[in-house]
Amino acid sequence: MSTLLARHLMKRFPGVAAVDDVSLEVNAGEVVGLLGPNGAGKTTTLRMLAGILTPDAGGVEVCGIDLQADPLGAKQRLGFLSGDTQLYRRLTPVEVLRYFGQLYGMGGTPLEARIERLVRELEMGAFATRACGTLSSGQKQRANVARAFLHDPELLILDEPTNGLDVISGKFIVEAIRREKAAGRAVLFSTHIMGEAEYLCDRIYLLHQGRIVDSGPLADLLERSGQANLTDAFLHHAGRVSGAA
Amino acid sequence: MRLPQILTIFRKELVETLRDRRTLLMMIGLPMLVYPLMAMGLSRLMESNVAATRARRSVVATWGAAPAELVEAMKATDAHLEVTAWLGAPDEVRRSIEAGEAAPAAAVAHGAATAHPTKGEQENPTLAAARTLLTSRRADAVLVSWPGLDQALARDDLGTVTLYFDALRGDSRTARDRLADVLSTYRTTLLTRREQARQLPAGFTDALKVLRRDVAPPARVVNHAMGSALPFILLTLSLLGSFYAAIDMTAGEKERGTMQTLMVAPLRSSEIVMGKVLAVSVVGLVAVAANTASLSLTITRILPAGEVSIPPVSIVLAGLMLVPITMTTSPVFLAVAVFARDFKDGQNFLTPVFMAIAMPAGLAILPTVELNAWTAFVPVVNIALLVKAVFSGEVRAELVFLVLLSSALFAMLAIMLAAHVFGREQIMLGGKESARSVLGLERRAGGVPTPAVALTTFALAMVLAFYASLLVEARGVVTTLLVVQYGFFLLPALVVVFGLGYSARETLLLRLPSWQHLLAAVVIGATGWIAIVGVFMRVAPPPESLVKGLEQMLTLGDPSLPLWVVLLGVAVTPAICEELFFRGVMLSGLRRLGLWPAVLISSLLFGFAHASIYRMLPTLALGLMLAALAWRSGSILPSMIVHAMNNGLIVWVVRHPSSAGMLGVSETSTLPPLSVTVAATLLCAAGVGLAWKAPGRAPQ
Repeated sequence: MSTLLARHLMKRFPGVAAVDDVSLEVNAGEVVGLLGPNGAGKTTTLRMLAGILTPDAGGVEVCGIDLQADPLGAKQRLGFLSGDTQLYRRLTPVEVLRYFGQLYGMGGTPLEARIERLVRELEMGAFATRACGTLSSGQKQRANVARAFLHDPELLILDEPTNGLDVISGKFIVEAIRREKAAGRAVLFSTHIMGEAEYLCDRIYLLHQGRIVDSGPLADLLERSGQANLTDAFLHHAGRVSGAA
Repeated sequence: MRLPQILTIFRKELVETLRDRRTLLMMIGLPMLVYPLMAMGLSRLMESNVAATRARRSVVATWGAAPAELVEAMKATDAHLEVTAWLGAPDEVRRSIEAGEAAPAAAVAHGAATAHPTKGEQENPTLAAARTLLTSRRADAVLVSWPGLDQALARDDLGTVTLYFDALRGDSRTARDRLADVLSTYRTTLLTRREQARQLPAGFTDALKVLRRDVAPPARVVNHAMGSALPFILLTLSLLGSFYAAIDMTAGEKERGTMQTLMVAPLRSSEIVMGKVLAVSVVGLVAVAANTASLSLTITRILPAGEVSIPPVSIVLAGLMLVPITMTTSPVFLAVAVFARDFKDGQNFLTPVFMAIAMPAGLAILPTVELNAWTAFVPVVNIALLVKAVFSGEVRAELVFLVLLSSALFAMLAIMLAAHVFGREQIMLGGKESARSVLGLERRAGGVPTPAVALTTFALAMVLAFYASLLVEARGVVTTLLVVQYGFFLLPALVVVFGLGYSARETLLLRLPSWQHLLAAVVIGATGWIAIVGVFMRVAPPPESLVKGLEQMLTLGDPSLPLWVVLLGVAVTPAICEELFFRGVMLSGLRRLGLWPAVLISSLLFGFAHASIYRMLPTLALGLMLAALAWRSGSILPSMIVHAMNNGLIVWVVRHPSSAGMLGVSETSTLPPLSVTVAATLLCAAGVGLAWKAPGRAPQ
């Protein structure tokens, strides 16, 4: 059973089909990339997969749970993080984690132990008890990663998680994703940084104008496009589809 | 909804709010400053005003030959008068007085003998001259001694003086009072002298001494004044506390991008709303507490003793009254502010809402607007009036119950609205969606309204009807009845159906009924009113005042009107307007809730609209029969027939008491005898049974 299974997702906004018949799946222990230019529909797709947006048509299953029929059960099993996710300015990272932990039904000693562990693993000790409004972008994003990982979800949906971060902070997040994969979690993430995708992804979906134009392991994508690296393959597809349109 | 999740959100929102200086300032800082400053400022202002008026001597112009003794008395130091002869008198006025031609003018409207001594007189040169002088403020009062005064007094005859003053000027009123004191003393001196000259016992001429004593305890007079303005101040300052908190928890959260994070968590939108509503309400309640505490401290510690005495228990009670309104305004604030994309936008969105809530509270300041069964259902106004009643010590338990009931209803509606808006993902993610589409008010082709549309229509119609009735009340029973019926029952029903594109046939049940339903309608119409009157007047006898009010309504306030006019106004009009509104839009709108909820809720609303606790149960009973009839027949006609017959027959009985005798009603009691009541109830039940069993076109 796939950890994430999406079938024929459709989403229209006034005057535009943002997502047009997108189907994809992600399995446990696998990192899958969703790549595409700005406006390709990546964020809309990821939001539908995370249960923040309702698709006009199509369905999503998380660990076999229908997201439409049982949104709370499905959301309980997924962690979501985007590059522009913010934190409550007047709370500290520990308070934010405690808040979300309780919303996910955790509490007491297990929650405190889990928070302590995340603070240690993500090296947040220096700022874990400072108000989030005073933190740097990198520190905030680490706290956000901790929030997304907090309830130990089987599926992680990450929308450009390294967006706006410096090289060191970006690398830190990338390594955290690798550790989650090693722990057997399914990860679906979108990025603009081709190097990250090449380094992390087992499989890749290329999205353009709301449709999936190619998918598969990196090697297959390169072979089909006849290009030497992912950037050229990406440009090749973007150009071909635009040209065809 | 899961309580732990709601409480988690509630706690977090509260912690975050308490760390926000802006909200804290509005919530606690402002009230702590406003009341003491206002009180100190006001009492200083009043003190200095009173002191200034007292210190200043009143300038009095004396026209004509005032008796020397009177002039002496006016010039005495303790009279505080500055007397100038002929000050500001035009030449022709002075000439006519000196020549003995001038005489006191007749008073306005009545003859001089019956006129009130302080009322105006017919226009004449002396009056015009005095008015010019007083308006120019060169004098505070004019005392005219008419020709022949001295001689009349010498003859022990009646002498006349006229005291001209300007009631709109404080200085002039002071001058009037001071002059009146001097004149009164002078008059007493004259009378005593006449009595002594004729060796009459003291008091012979006065005959009757009238002592006027105001029994209102000084505290209550002040409380009434304070009570009028205080609800407004208390309410607005308390609302201000939750104003910023509501923006911060919605638009602020969207601006900071944390709303999406919250939406990823396994939460229902109703749980998010409830958590936030509780937090905003608590902030509002802390503001209420801060306001009431500051107000009681101001009254007991800062204001001079005895100036105002509102018992602390009244203030605490008034504070408690603000609890339900906070529970209503908090979800409304949240539902509106969540449309905004950022904090600034939120302020722009919420300010008109704030004004719309604060203005009705201002209405309560008007002395003529009082808490009654009708105003108890107008949101905000009801609480403001209740607070006013608490301050002046005139609360009635029945009205408190109605206010709390209606407030609970409004709070529930507001929470439902907020939960609905929070369920719109486009709005939550910062996208755009028109309020029309969020509220489900887009035009549609056919179908019937939703329960939300029906309930909102009811609430809006009731509130608007209240304001309209304030405007037309003075024009009499007929105008008020027509405005309310056609303007606030028929018009909203038509606007909802045709404006929003619902099917008129389906919504207003515009079909012909079966003959069985028509027969049932006639039976119920003929007997239902006797059954209802007979049963409810036994169970809960209405107070005399209500019976009288109803009788006035049933005769349209004028027993001489032709019967057909009264029947048109009291029977036919409500049968059309109220049926299309309650059995049309309301019942059809609630249809998807199922038979019994739809029938029960629409009948309850029908009862509420006839706002009186005594009328509520009988109207509810009638409403249940009308709704059941409309539902089973699928037609509005049978319920219109029952409604028209019900009202029409009651009108007939009120106008022809002899016909009541046929029902065994005696002159001394308006109650139908038990046997008639039982027979009517059985017949009515048979009618309902027939309507229920008859083949009909019950709505799908």
